[in-house]
Amino acid sequence: MEADLFDQFVRGLRHATEHHTGEALDASLEELGWRVAMAHDPRVAVSTLFELQGRANATSSALGQVVAHALGLGDEPETVVLSPIGQWYPPGALDGLHLGVDGLATRPARSGDTALVVASTSESDVAVTVATSSLRLRQVVGVDPGLGLVQVTGLGLDTTGQSEGVTVDWAAAVALGRLALAHELVGTSRTMLELARQHALDRIQFGRPIASFQAVRHRLAETLVGIEMAEAALEAAWLDRSTDTAAMAKAVAGRAARTTARHCQQVLAGIGFTAEHPLHRFVRRTLVLDGMFGTAASITRAQGAAMIDSRALPPLLPL
Amino acid sequence: MTNPPGAAMDIGEFRSSLDVWLEDNRSALAPAYEGGGTLDQQMAQLAKVRRLTYEAGWMRRGWPERVGGLGGTTLMRAYLGEALTARDLIEPGFYSMTEVLAPTMIDYAPPELAAAMVPELLRGEETWCQGFSEPGTGSNLASLSCRAVRSDEGWRVTGQKVWTSLAQYAQRCVLLTRTGTPESAHKGITALFVDMDSPGITVRPIDTMHGPAEFSEVFFDQVHVPLDRTLGQPGAGWAVAMDLLPYERSTSLWHRAAFLHRRLQEVLDVAPAEALDPAVLGEVTQVLYAFRARSRATQHRMAAGEHLGPETSVDKVLLATSEQAVFDLVAEALAPEVTVGDDPASEQWRTQYLYSRAASIYGGSAEIQRNIIARRLLDLGADR
Repeated sequence: MEADLFDQFVRGLRHATEHHTGEALDASLEELGWRVAMAHDPRVAVSTLFELQGRANATSSALGQVVAHALGLGDEPETVVLSPIGQWYPPGALDGLHLGVDGLATRPARSGDTALVVASTSESDVAVTVATSSLRLRQVVGVDPGLGLVQVTGLGLDTTGQSEGVTVDWAAAVALGRLALAHELVGTSRTMLELARQHALDRIQFGRPIASFQAVRHRLAETLVGIEMAEAALEAAWLDRSTDTAAMAKAVAGRAARTTARHCQQVLAGIGFTAEHPLHRFVRRTLVLDGMFGTAASITRAQGAAMIDSRALPPLLPL
Repeated sequence: MTNPPGAAMDIGEFRSSLDVWLEDNRSALAPAYEGGGTLDQQMAQLAKVRRLTYEAGWMRRGWPERVGGLGGTTLMRAYLGEALTARDLIEPGFYSMTEVLAPTMIDYAPPELAAAMVPELLRGEETWCQGFSEPGTGSNLASLSCRAVRSDEGWRVTGQKVWTSLAQYAQRCVLLTRTGTPESAHKGITALFVDMDSPGITVRPIDTMHGPAEFSEVFFDQVHVPLDRTLGQPGAGWAVAMDLLPYERSTSLWHRAAFLHRRLQEVLDVAPAEALDPAVLGEVTQVLYAFRARSRATQHRMAAGEHLGPETSVDKVLLATSEQAVFDLVAEALAPEVTVGDDPASEQWRTQYLYSRAASIYGGSAEIQRNIIARRLLDLGADR
């Protein structure tokens, strides 16, 4: 993307994420041509939007679109079903013509909509389109009601008469989705750090700002190190585009965000525990984002187990 | 070397032709000992590798022509150290001292002095050391008291340094001295380039926890240093030190990452499956990967001519975290080797485990790095 165009794009996204959320943000993204930008330059489109969305605590259905794009089905703006929380297997399972679905969607489905479900079969993963009316949809409240997730389930759906499923690369979709989530976790972390930093400078105890106490300073320094570490892992993951490095970036970003939430909550202390201070919304968001497509802990354990099996470290990004 | 001296070479070309050369010269470059070797053996090996890589031109790449280099991107220096470390041909900590000391000479020494001296360092003729820390001056570097007094013919230095790496092997020392009043703090420091065979210098190696006596105490008793051995302006030594420190956190850390990666792969090669905790192995791998990714970005910023500053403290914190994480895993996965093994391989694991404890102490402790991050990167104001 050219520099002028890029600046304009970023300004547009910043304004959109700061002023809109949910369906209004989806509409702004369409207006800004975000999906078209993703087709041309996925790195710029994904990294910019998701970091800003995280910073602003905004929500959109962009994650579903990221997954659809990675599946090569990006032209159909429909409800895209993601894995259930903590998991990264395909949300559907196809047994003959019968489809079972257990997953999440990033926006409420409208009547007459279709849902894109990737389902595992005995041979491969295939993308199936089903009418949302055939699925059970539950608006999730959970720890982060503001996120607007929808739980999508379905049992023994008859797929007779559906167009035959296309074989897709689900691992690639998970990888790109993880990069998007990792950027959103970084954005979420950056806002938590900024809230805690400002509080540390403003809050006076013992006659001086608490930012002057080393215990507070070191917590915040440690927080920044974690965030920078996640940024570095993300940069490497975009350069090498392997599923392994995307998984690492998601795990590093998830761990950093949880550490950030802990340190910032501690620095913000009482005020950060109230519902009137914005911190809690970012703490809630962190928990859910870390869970989507696998928590830091579960991804890490799976990577470790795979390495013990193969006795090989993930390939190194050259200098 | 396929390219004539002076010809431009990009990093991809450098990497592939160096890899071929290292393979072709494998036996000439190999150390003559098993395991880690003694300190004397390691130093002899380092000098040999420097000489061979200098003669073949590799070592001259990425250094300016006015100090005997062949020019080109500094990424070549990063890759050379990485490639030598990955093949276990050098001790990366000793090798990388060049990456700190040579840039200081290039930036601050009189040009003819830099032109005469830097090639000696690069080609393994000489070892240099860095005289910063003192018994009363650890984290608070500006409090140093090793005194240099102007005399008619130059400087007279009296005082003591400590934790001076490789001082017993060194022909030269980049030395920080107090030339202002004792209260002048960072305003009264002068950097000097001192011949280690000058009368009045005594070096006493320190026995360490991990084994090799690579650090020394260095005593200066009325040591004469000519005036033209002043680095930068008299009284401006703090700037020399501050410009040098980010170098400690750039190319050297990239080399160290290559070392940690090799050792992590080696522990994965030999550890019994039941001694490896998947959660720990996964996290260590991720931390090291992220550290390396961070350092990679720093190498590219340096190659683009960007000034390296306090943001390199993040790199140093990540090195310490990664190095200790890797060797904590080693102590767990190879517990018998680390604790009761006495063969050369076990001794090397043990030495490196013990040395990893220092990663959060040397080159600015973990606490000092966090102070820098809080003050300079988070702008949290003064800490008192």
